[in-house]
Amino acid sequence: MHRTLLVLSMITACKSEDHRPGAPQDPPPPRLINATQHDLAKELGEATGRGTWGDVKRRWQGQTLTWKVTRYASLCRTAEACYVAAFPVQRPAKVGWLPQLMFGTGQYAVLEAACGDQPQCEITFEGRLDKLETSAEMPTNVRFADVRILTRTASR
Amino acid sequence: MKIKNTLAPALAGLTIAAGASLTIASSHREAPSIAEDQYVDNTDVYAFISPTDSSKLVMVANYVPLLIPSSGPNFYRFSDEAYYEIHIDNDGDAKDDITYRWTFKNELKNGSTFLYNTGAVDSLSDPDLNVTQSYRLEKIEEKTGRKTRLLDKAPVAPWNVGKRSFPDYDKVANEAVKSAGGVTAFAGPRDEPFFVDLHVFDLLGVAGAPTTDGINVMSLVLEVPITDIAKGGRRPAAGSTGQDSVVGIYASASRPQVRILRRGRDSDDFGQMIQVSRLAWPLVNEVIIPLQDKDKYNRSAPKDDVKNFGAYILDPEVPKLLNAVLGAGCAPTPAGGRTDIVGLLAPNGTTAADLLRININQGETNAQSHFPNGRALADDVTDTLLTVACNNGGAIGDGVNANDKAFLTYMPYLASPHSGNP
Repeated sequence: MHRTLLVLSMITACKSEDHRPGAPQDPPPPRLINATQHDLAKELGEATGRGTWGDVKRRWQGQTLTWKVTRYASLCRTAEACYVAAFPVQRPAKVGWLPQLMFGTGQYAVLEAACGDQPQCEITFEGRLDKLETSAEMPTNVRFADVRILTRTASR
Repeated sequence: MKIKNTLAPALAGLTIAAGASLTIASSHREAPSIAEDQYVDNTDVYAFISPTDSSKLVMVANYVPLLIPSSGPNFYRFSDEAYYEIHIDNDGDAKDDITYRWTFKNELKNGSTFLYNTGAVDSLSDPDLNVTQSYRLEKIEEKTGRKTRLLDKAPVAPWNVGKRSFPDYDKVANEAVKSAGGVTAFAGPRDEPFFVDLHVFDLLGVAGAPTTDGINVMSLVLEVPITDIAKGGRRPAAGSTGQDSVVGIYASASRPQVRILRRGRDSDDFGQMIQVSRLAWPLVNEVIIPLQDKDKYNRSAPKDDVKNFGAYILDPEVPKLLNAVLGAGCAPTPAGGRTDIVGLLAPNGTTAADLLRININQGETNAQSHFPNGRALADDVTDTLLTVACNNGGAIGDGVNANDKAFLTYMPYLASPHSGNP
């Protein structure tokens, strides 16, 4: 029994987030102005060495951001499963993640209209980074909600 | 195995032939963490329509890489503290619909000897066979959670210790082929069917050397009625191109979340099972996923491959490496990325994922089961994948084009394991 309690105590102590009732709330992080995917990738890269995954998540998750990305038709086939390339082909890729876009009302249709049947096109969107999963153990996962298509900047 | 779930809620080579070559082991010791846990290292997955009954599908999952036949006295086996699983997606969404799970149990008849066998062995029930393993095979329908026990206490084929211990090894090993309810299964050592030149890891110093010849591997072989795994229990009509016309297959291994070592007795394992290895297509984690994400790949699920690793697929490192080191003349990654590879991972409108997909329409035969439509044992996948990766219109080969042993035309299909003392 004592060993069981010890294990449970250790697990509780090791949890990275503090969710105790009444615990002082951290002030909200400052709004990130003009923060790009390159900035996020840089911070995630630094977190790899420092173990500061939680700090990156606290700074970025919940922020409303405007990013220019590439929409590939084969990777964004429905509103429910739309992933976009955040970086140009870099020979070779430095990170593996592709942001998922969860669209605001009618916005997937806007995307479809903007890109037509082009296999790829560059778009600029605004969205709330509602999910940033990142750790030493699991792959980085980036998801935007309430996505609004601002411009289609180019097509091929 | 002592896995205690009571605390679970709380604990909640390529060879460029034609001049140059490069070989890569499919997924043998491909990631840092799994290289430290050999018994659950998934090396290759195969899937093909049965050559003896085209109403059935054969799936092979190999584990425990690069085994030397004369590796006594503790010969290789499966771990009895792990789940070994083959997962099947039958509706194209890259999520598990059916899982086949093997769990193993070790048995020792006589602990007062160091010998694996104490005399010549002529059957699986021979009292001289001192160290044995058995397994339970279950089918899990993921949507309902329904679990069906297909086999229990089924024997694992023994290690081929040598001619003195096993005068007729094949006779003994074939006793490990077991059938129940239309399903036939085998578990045990076999000849390593993957053929490559592992000298690639010496700065691509390859020359077509068949470095996996004479090597064994631990194999799980399962032959099932296709109607057992098809969506709704029905095979689509011939020529169907729907998402359910293919099934997507991958294999995995999982370990208990927590192990506590004891001074005075064996260790205890606690908690839920955590996936530590997975594999479908050959070479994906080996050469597509970079070192920083290899362990993460092994822990993740195929349904998340695009969002987790999609950029690596769009812009793989392999062609650049081939050009830089070997001057292979591979095409540069097109400005739009390698969407052709994405397409190969998403046949018939299925969700792109690292799944070995195979057509299960009515009328499909063994002759049509060749990578990337499934994977036959004799397929030279290294050549195929190098050619796809290099993408310069020419064929690229690895200089090693066939296995050292002929494959069988009957269960368990893989060749008999090499003897420790031939």
